[in-house]
Amino acid sequence: MSAPLPDLLPAPDAASAVPVRTKARGQASPLRVWIPAGFLILLAAACFIWPQIYPVPKPVGGSILEAGLPPLSPGHILGTDPNGNDVLSRILYGGQVSFEVGFSVTAIGLVVGGLLGVAAGYWRGAADAAISRVLDVLIAFPALVLALVIAEGLGPSELHVIWALAIFSIPAFGRIARSGTLAIREQTYMLAARLSGSRGRHIILRHVIPNIMPQLMTFALLGFGIAIILEGALSFLGLGIPLPEPSWGSMIAQGQQVLSATPEQALIPSAFLFAAVVSLNVLGDALRERWGVR
Amino acid sequence: MNTVSGPLLEVENLTVSFPGRRGELRAVIGVSYSLDPQQTLAIVGESGSGKTVSCRALMGLLPQAAVVTGSARFQGDELLGLTDDELRRHRGTNLAMVFQDPSRSLNPTMKVGNQIAEAVRVHQRVTKAEAKKQAIELLRLVHIPVPGRRFHEYPHQLSGGMRQRIMIAIALACRPRLLIADEATTALDVTTQAQIMELLLELRAELGMTLMLISHDLGLARSCADEVIVMYAGQIVEQASTPQLFTHVRMPYTQALFEAIPRLERPAHSPLPVIGGRPPDLSALPAGCSFAPRCRRAADDCRTTAPPLAEHEPGHRWACWHPVGQGGPGGWVPPEGTVWHDVR
Amino acid sequence: MTSGKEPLLQVRDLVQEFVARDYGGVKGGVVHAVSGVSFTVWPGETLGIVGETGSGKSTLARSVLQAPRPREGTVTFRGTDLVKLRGSRLLQARRHLQMVFQDPFGSLDPKWKVRDLVAEPLIAYRVGDRAARLHRVDQVLELVGLDPAAHGGRRPRELSGGQAQRVAIARALAIEPAMIICDEPVSSLDVLIQAQVLNLFEQLRAELQLSYLFIAHDLALVKQVSDRVAVMYLGKLCEVGPGEAVYRQPLHPYTKALLDSVPGAANAKATKTIRGEPPSPVHPPSGCRFRTRCPRAEQRCADEEPAMRELAAGHSVACHFPLVPAADSQARSEEIIGEIPR
Repeated sequence: MSAPLPDLLPAPDAASAVPVRTKARGQASPLRVWIPAGFLILLAAACFIWPQIYPVPKPVGGSILEAGLPPLSPGHILGTDPNGNDVLSRILYGGQVSFEVGFSVTAIGLVVGGLLGVAAGYWRGAADAAISRVLDVLIAFPALVLALVIAEGLGPSELHVIWALAIFSIPAFGRIARSGTLAIREQTYMLAARLSGSRGRHIILRHVIPNIMPQLMTFALLGFGIAIILEGALSFLGLGIPLPEPSWGSMIAQGQQVLSATPEQALIPSAFLFAAVVSLNVLGDALRERWGVR
Repeated sequence: MNTVSGPLLEVENLTVSFPGRRGELRAVIGVSYSLDPQQTLAIVGESGSGKTVSCRALMGLLPQAAVVTGSARFQGDELLGLTDDELRRHRGTNLAMVFQDPSRSLNPTMKVGNQIAEAVRVHQRVTKAEAKKQAIELLRLVHIPVPGRRFHEYPHQLSGGMRQRIMIAIALACRPRLLIADEATTALDVTTQAQIMELLLELRAELGMTLMLISHDLGLARSCADEVIVMYAGQIVEQASTPQLFTHVRMPYTQALFEAIPRLERPAHSPLPVIGGRPPDLSALPAGCSFAPRCRRAADDCRTTAPPLAEHEPGHRWACWHPVGQGGPGGWVPPEGTVWHDVR
Repeated sequence: MTSGKEPLLQVRDLVQEFVARDYGGVKGGVVHAVSGVSFTVWPGETLGIVGETGSGKSTLARSVLQAPRPREGTVTFRGTDLVKLRGSRLLQARRHLQMVFQDPFGSLDPKWKVRDLVAEPLIAYRVGDRAARLHRVDQVLELVGLDPAAHGGRRPRELSGGQAQRVAIARALAIEPAMIICDEPVSSLDVLIQAQVLNLFEQLRAELQLSYLFIAHDLALVKQVSDRVAVMYLGKLCEVGPGEAVYRQPLHPYTKALLDSVPGAANAKATKTIRGEPPSPVHPPSGCRFRTRCPRAEQRCADEEPAMRELAAGHSVACHFPLVPAADSQARSEEIIGEIPR
């Protein structure tokens, strides 16, 4: 006698205010998850794997003789940039940078920020006060100014970009983790877990984190996109990946200089940037609906 | 009882279904009844019985996805399938509803008096001052002391019982002919519940209103209603006047409900007579009688053919092939020595 | 059902208070949720506590379990005062005292499977090895009427209300408690399922010699399940006594009001009510807290708080003018239906 409940419950008849158990589980069709996810996987595979297994022209050190070739030229499907470098190859290697930066910044934020936020939300008191102040300070830093300072002081490089962006990623995740933990803390099952004898660390690992994961993961996807854009912006300003290393941002900057003559130099990297970020956003949104995150 | 103008509400073959992931979810199946003016009808059932859905269908409060067929006529006017504008004509002036949880139905950022005044102004073209006057009068009607001052308070400053009175005041803003109370006292304490029920009955007499109570509480139905309808799995399974139902139960489900309620007279630690199982999945109802899988008296014919709801005795309808007490007069009578706790 | 041994749970002068937050989070005063409650539960006995919203009964339950620790008072469980303990000493002392909550779904982590939920206390208290724990989980699931094979791998959202509450009960039973505190365990369940779960409680009580502290707002329900019943109002106990005695001969006017408010009589058109609204626990009335709604209140009730006195065998009441069981009980009840001062 264990017929599962109908999903679509009409207005509850329940005798007392029982919370609706089945959260409005996503009306998001699976396509909205798999299409962007598929695209991202393909793009990442292209950026990281393709150059290893299929010879592409090097992204740097091109000869000036081949400068400014249009797309669909022999040997250069997307043409070459003003320095003679193959555009497709620069897109792929630039994509590596974008994914690396996005992933690192998100991962650092998720792990460091997430743990700090959970600690602050679960233990409250002095720990919460201290951690919250630290997070507030980090978030108060003006983003680009800090990146500027780091770039100026330490010299531009991918690693420095990651550090600079991580300074904002950590408090962002920290806040989400903290508020999620605060909300969960009030749930009866947390009290039940404590009364069952479970100790703090066990409760955090097995109860708190699994329940705030949906929020954190959807935020992570959106944050990934933001990190990619920020890296692009920094590189565009010359504060990110130093030339001649490829980066979508610096490619756009270069393309800007020849915008009227060969607009595709700017449009191609912009298109990739756009596609990557939109996919991340759509995926994040669809998962958010699916998992019932508010 | 004024029978000259005929029944106030006539529901005929009302059916509501929702599209579900595993098939159609039939929440209300072929419900028919009629309500006379100034009568008090109680519709009793558990979760999933369809009692709330059927009444929300009357008020036009179901989600878009609901498929509603059948007819519900309020003094001859059809209520089903109306547009929002047409519904607005009925809501408030003819039909009004009070819901279960007042804290969720009241706007926490608006003064309670203004919420009542707003209800007044929706249906009458009056000035703000006139609406305020009427609102204070309504507060007095629902026995809220010092109504002039309470007008300016916010919902969170009031207790549960007071908030429910505000909800009643809002529902009464335009003196509806029919008031539907959907589990209106379920979320309240028992002492507050008694006060609110007394208020509703008083208002019924004072305003010549008809009252429809939806509840899971049989005791409430017994003490306040003239007529009781029992619903199970979307259908009416028994209907009778209150005295008749509570002395001559016929439907085994109703009997099971009676027996399962803890009563003060029962000695401590006595096991409650209970039937196993759970209400059926509304998207996969069994063939035959929906209650058969759990019924002590079920026989083969119960499992193949659904019994029709018919008036087997004057004023008492039921849907059962093997009702309690069949073959003899009367139905199940409460066991020797049982006293329904008298309220004096 | 006292067994003449040491009391299982002894609560003395328990006080619990909270800071009230007004709308908007501004501090608004102190909520006196529990103000000096004392009671005893004997092994194998069920004590029922009945009270309405604002009576403090849920707070009382949690305070007994030290979640959070009460402001004052002692809670002696099996001879050890829980209030004085901290950390793992508290966990050990509290091991045989478990709780079942009102909302079955709220008390089960939605991401966990049934088997893991029931095994949690076994793991926390390091009972047996993995095989022994699995065995115990299956055993206890069967004890509550669930099929381990069918339900063990499910998550709470795949269960019905009754099933989920059974899982919560199974979890409470896993480490063989001596006593279970039940905070409105059947209030969110439908009538027929409620009866099933209540029968389960009785069955477990008999089979496992459990004690219960059973808290609910329905007097009939509490009386059905309990040996003795305590009535609580606004943070204090009004009356304590054997269930039958409290029902047949209520001594406290509030108990009488509760009994009279139970709907169910045949032709009752004029229900007796107590008028007025419950006072706020932030500013409880002086003296006897029920006096603002009590038909028998007099000056003494405002000046002096009534102490709990035993008026009949095992039947105590905290009232200056209790409904004394005597030949004049008829006259008294007519008195009550008189004017009720505001």
